[in-house]
Amino acid sequence: MNLEIDFCLNGSEIRLSIKPWETALDVLRNQSGLTGVKEGCGIGECGACTIIIDGKAVNSCLILAAQLDGRKVETVEGLEVDGKMHFIQQAFLDKGAVQCGFCTPGMLMSAKALLDKVENPSTDKIVEAMTGNLCRCAGYVQILEAVREATCMKAPLNKDDVTNS
Amino acid sequence: MTAASIKEKQSLIGTSVPRIGVDGKLNGKALFSNDVAPKNSLWVKALRSELAHAKIESIDIKDALNTPGCVAILTAQDIPGNNSFGIINKDQPLLAGSKVRFVGDPVALAVAISEDVAELALSKIHVTYTELASIFDPEESLAPGSPFIHEKGNLLGKRLIKKGAPELAFEKADVIIERTYQTTCLEHAYLEPDAGYAYFDSDGKIVIYASTQNPHYDQADVASLLGLEADRVRIIQTNTGGGFGSKLDLNTQGFLGLACYLLKKPVRMVFSREEAFLCTSKRHPLKIKYKSAASKDGRLLAIDVKIMGDTGAYASYGLAVVSRSAIHATGPYEVPNVSIESVFAYTNNPIAGAMRGFGVPQVAFAHESQMDLLAEALGVSPLEIRRRNALRLGSTTATKQELTASVGIQTCIEAIAPHYEAIRNKTNSKDSKKLKGVGLGCMMYGIGNTGTQNPSTAQVELQSNGGIVLYSGAADIGQGSSTVLIQIVATELGVGAEKITLVNADTGLTTSAGATSASRQTYISGNAALDAARKLKEAILTEAATMLKANRKKLYMKNGNVLDSSGVDSSVSFEQIANKAKREGRPLKWQGFFDPDTTPLDPETGQGKPYATFAFAAQIAEVEVDILTAEVTVKKIIAAHDVGKAINPESVKGQIYGGAAMGLGFALMEEFIPGKTVSLKDYHIPTFSDMPPVECLIIEEPEPTGPFGAKGVGEPALIPTAPAILNAIADALGSRIYSLPANLERVMKAIHSGASKMKFRLNQ
Ligand code: FES
Ligand code: FES
Repeated sequence: MNLEIDFCLNGSEIRLSIKPWETALDVLRNQSGLTGVKEGCGIGECGACTIIIDGKAVNSCLILAAQLDGRKVETVEGLEVDGKMHFIQQAFLDKGAVQCGFCTPGMLMSAKALLDKVENPSTDKIVEAMTGNLCRCAGYVQILEAVREATCMKAPLNKDDVTNS
Repeated sequence: MTAASIKEKQSLIGTSVPRIGVDGKLNGKALFSNDVAPKNSLWVKALRSELAHAKIESIDIKDALNTPGCVAILTAQDIPGNNSFGIINKDQPLLAGSKVRFVGDPVALAVAISEDVAELALSKIHVTYTELASIFDPEESLAPGSPFIHEKGNLLGKRLIKKGAPELAFEKADVIIERTYQTTCLEHAYLEPDAGYAYFDSDGKIVIYASTQNPHYDQADVASLLGLEADRVRIIQTNTGGGFGSKLDLNTQGFLGLACYLLKKPVRMVFSREEAFLCTSKRHPLKIKYKSAASKDGRLLAIDVKIMGDTGAYASYGLAVVSRSAIHATGPYEVPNVSIESVFAYTNNPIAGAMRGFGVPQVAFAHESQMDLLAEALGVSPLEIRRRNALRLGSTTATKQELTASVGIQTCIEAIAPHYEAIRNKTNSKDSKKLKGVGLGCMMYGIGNTGTQNPSTAQVELQSNGGIVLYSGAADIGQGSSTVLIQIVATELGVGAEKITLVNADTGLTTSAGATSASRQTYISGNAALDAARKLKEAILTEAATMLKANRKKLYMKNGNVLDSSGVDSSVSFEQIANKAKREGRPLKWQGFFDPDTTPLDPETGQGKPYATFAFAAQIAEVEVDILTAEVTVKKIIAAHDVGKAINPESVKGQIYGGAAMGLGFALMEEFIPGKTVSLKDYHIPTFSDMPPVECLIIEEPEPTGPFGAKGVGEPALIPTAPAILNAIADALGSRIYSLPANLERVMKAIHSGASKMKFRLNQ
């Protein structure tokens, strides 16, 4: 038995035919070809599979694909706009926050969900928001610096938004 | 401007060039080992033993083969070549033939149209075993009468190191400290579980994409398993999500090669996290009996160290750990009289192999605890005792290797000294429930394989369009070696990093660079790449001299051109040079080679020159111990590392941060309990909230034989952290922990023993 689901994936409306037991992670990787969504554990422990659903960072290995129906879904593949890096990606690049890069998509999505919601998060807030994302290579220091830097990059950007509107 | 100053200006050495390939890792496009297989690939899954030690009587595959969608069931009988592999000792079967030796040993493969079908088929394989007595302790394993795990017996290897007259020195010593230290089995927990994909290419070669640290070794072992010439197998490294030593072994490659070869179909294999935990190699648990002697002026006189290691069911890199742990047992100190014995045994535990540091993190925990205990007994500060004994130019190591250059341990100690004194001056109030402590950890680490040849090769080619291609077999597993190699070649040839195209870690296109292990790629493959670049540079300058009719000595390279520094306004581009050389049939692809200058160790005395160069480090950990909850919080780590030359400082820092995190896990939380530890739910690695600020102090004592003076930092980064944390806990509590990890239970015990020594009050 297959189910049809409709949702908004990285800004485009899509329809997928899925099995009721498939996870969001499986469907995004195998059907939508979004292999930037990584599987590090499959049980909600590592955060490599983090995506954003309706503004909230979630582990896509823990939710069913059926639960995506009618939602707004963002993955790492949607961060660049017209080939231009999102400012959080830029901050990761600037701070040398990427080593093997397997944790990076999940880290970026957790950071984005936080910065979309909170204007100027404190270090504690950042740590709290990101603590479900494991990294075995980088020791978190440069990742934390990158998110902090992204916070600063965001502030002026927001002002622009205000003037433009 | 002199040629030298021009070179200086153009150098990329010491600049944090962004990592090659980082864009794909930021936008999700980088393909890792589970991202490359096309949809039509067959799935390979392994049936693994649930018994630790058993004879295989029979394997019945009839039912399994009848599973709709199951294409094949493969067992040891189907292996056409030599069913035994391993990097040093070939003692591990790809599929167990006569017996299984640990829980997780593979006995059969199912190949099927989907992962689910493969799993279903596996469940229908009936294996009849006769259980054998199992051994889980290395000492028991070597006791007379123990059942043999391997036909040759249970001893993996032994290393003896003798220097001076330790017995005599112990008799004359003013203080002797003798303790036993125990470390535990650890999981690498790289974030990307192993996976891969294999297919036959149009030339009839088996092409295997894998997450690996060691493509050329994989190629040789897969070919031997299949009974083929090496060139019939091509290994291509995908982006690799960390390795830390475990991806030096054949994890999926052998299975993929076998299934692809026999079925002539594209196949894929993906380990779940649970499977990776079950079957990939671990860190060796070591029991270290350590006896040190010192004079009352705080000089080390002698050590006597006995190391007992558990290598589990198969050797993997175990033999390298036997020797390396012994050689490094002195720590970065000059010890005139030495007796070290390192003995490792097979058991029916999970395989222990290479893990970042090859036994040195374990022995560093012991030697650094001993240094603090000696300091306490002698009434000198932990800093002072290290200063007095640290190696310097002209010192000899335990293997009587004289250190003639790049001995940065004293500089590292002096770099952290003011920080240490400052933290030490903050004192605990008697009534505080959170006790502060500060600890030191120092280390040395020999770069490259131990006392054996471990060469690297590389080629650098000038193309007709003036571009440069660097070919290197070195696998970058996230640590950044690819970027460093590019920086080296670009600097030598006076071009920007973007002008270099790197082809790497593909056995079809590159020659061997040796393994990404032993912190060797910057030093050894860096030198090979530099050698190739120098040869190409010579060739380019020779061509240019003829073309410009100039004095060759006055020529220099800049931005893809050769210019004349003698004031004559003339230049020729790499492109023009390439075209001329090509027309006239002169080579534009040059091979570089480097093999560090080492000698094998004497089997009786352990004397020799095992490494061409050593890295050094000193770290401080500041901790706070909550005496009510036994929770340890690391507040700060300060890390001074002598890396020779930091070719890419941001990457060096990245290694230090990552190493400190792994060291923190080793100190406080990580423990793999065979049979109990199944997934990341029960194996905890440090998270964001565990990580303190880390301050890096990069020390550069240039290594004359290193590329631009560089040595290595990958493993050194981790080694001093756990000892520093353990010494800090002891400082806080006045009571010491001798077994890792320092978990709540052990810390609680230490708190009670510290309180009973009246170091602080537990109750008001
Ligand atoms: S794969 Fe989803 S949390 Fe690890
Ligand atoms: S960069 Fe490798 S796990 Fe984070």
